[in-house]
Amino acid sequence: MSAFWYGLQLQCRLDIRSKSLLITCYLVPLLFFVFVGSIFIALDPQAKQTLIPHMTVMGVSMGALIGVPPTLAEIYGSDIKGMYRANGVPLWMGLVNTVLSALVHLLVMSTLLCGMAVLLFDAPLPDRPLTYVGGLVLLVAVSLALGSVLGLAIQDQAKLTMISQLFFLPSILLSGILFPLELLPKALQQAGMVFPAFWGGRLLTGVASWPQGALPLLALFGGFVLCCAILLRRMRRR
Amino acid sequence: MTPAVAVADLRKRYGAHQVLKGLTFQVEQGEIFALLGVNGAGKTTALECIEGQRQPDGGSVTLRGKRGIQLQNASLPAHIRPMEAVKLFAKWKGAKISSDMLEELGIPQLGKRQYRELSTGQKRRLHLALALIGEPELLFLDEPTAGLDVEGRIALHRLIQSLKGRGRTILLASHDMAEVESLCDRIAILNRGEMAFLGTVPQLTQAVGRRYHITIRTPTGEETYQSQDITQTLLSLLEGYRSRNIPILDLKVDRGTLEEHFLLLAKGETT
Repeated sequence: MSAFWYGLQLQCRLDIRSKSLLITCYLVPLLFFVFVGSIFIALDPQAKQTLIPHMTVMGVSMGALIGVPPTLAEIYGSDIKGMYRANGVPLWMGLVNTVLSALVHLLVMSTLLCGMAVLLFDAPLPDRPLTYVGGLVLLVAVSLALGSVLGLAIQDQAKLTMISQLFFLPSILLSGILFPLELLPKALQQAGMVFPAFWGGRLLTGVASWPQGALPLLALFGGFVLCCAILLRRMRRR
Repeated sequence: MTPAVAVADLRKRYGAHQVLKGLTFQVEQGEIFALLGVNGAGKTTALECIEGQRQPDGGSVTLRGKRGIQLQNASLPAHIRPMEAVKLFAKWKGAKISSDMLEELGIPQLGKRQYRELSTGQKRRLHLALALIGEPELLFLDEPTAGLDVEGRIALHRLIQSLKGRGRTILLASHDMAEVESLCDRIAILNRGEMAFLGTVPQLTQAVGRRYHITIRTPTGEETYQSQDITQTLLSLLEGYRSRNIPILDLKVDRGTLEEHFLLLAKGETT
């Protein structure tokens, strides 16, 4: 097995051993889904039509913006980075492995959420599964790219926890998954557009269609990846 | 013989602060060489520039052979197991894992414990094992025994000696004088980024002169004196105690430690 694949497999195992990622990628999103799902459906039975995409956007945002940055800060804000460099492990390995491992965990969480929604709330499955899965993978990738920017840019764990929340909360509140965006002032509606959750929600619910609906997400992805590359380059120079 | 490390006019500056001011020295193959200096003398920066971890502003560094690096401040992911780290690093280095080396360092015995559960000594042994993957001819150790208890320190010294016995060249940075005195063939003392001394331990002692410590215990307490002329000082001290009618209970004479010589040089009080 090559070094890269071994590293990726190892990262998946480390993430399972790390209780914080289990909590932010599985436990909290799924518990939140059960809790909020029950309330939504009790208030409005029609909410189950969009329950799966909305709760998936919430779970993915939580895992990517709150779960992943501390793992990256652990690698890049500590002596692990130096240890990797000194032993010939490329600097990007920590980032790529963490992101790919989180991608797997978040897709597994989304699948579990989907199954639970059907079983617990009789929620309908997406009409076009392939399009839905494509949108989901894109949403997870963009959200992880944003989480990576946070994890690489802020290496102080306390500061990072606070700033991650500052991205996560508006991301959810301004995405239209908890309440209709029309209730918000225009400025806030527009502010929501800088977050992947906004565009991901539209894509998964079918409000936006492929491929036009994916373009803003692709643009955000490109911007976040560029930021990650710049941050890694700065780190290597230091 | 071609030196394992050749450093010429090595310079490094952080902003306005010139950390290294033109270091020049060589480390011979199979030698244990120590870089010494008080905190801020520039030894870690020098080591990092030589290792290739840091870009120097000027000068040249020539290394012969594969490198293994043990950093002063090193860490691994909290949940990784020792053998997982060994496998990961071996794969990235494209090297085979030497089970003899791992046994010698007691890595398999660490079992399934996670990195966060290891003691400081166990972590140090693991870091050394990772540095030794790929059988490097040249080993860089930055404060290898910092934070270790006496037992761990002795075990690590034994290991470093055994590595030297197998022909490895070792360049270490330390401020532990006992370590340097017992392990190293030659030393370089840095003082504010400049070479204050380069040579062997006996040469250092010779360079700073013979400095004696005399400790005299009497019923009223203990007094310590320093002298370079032991005969004259002892005679006059003894005469003084006799004339004042103070009985001497104990008398000790020693030549001082390398640490004292080093501190004198490092502070620039002796040349």
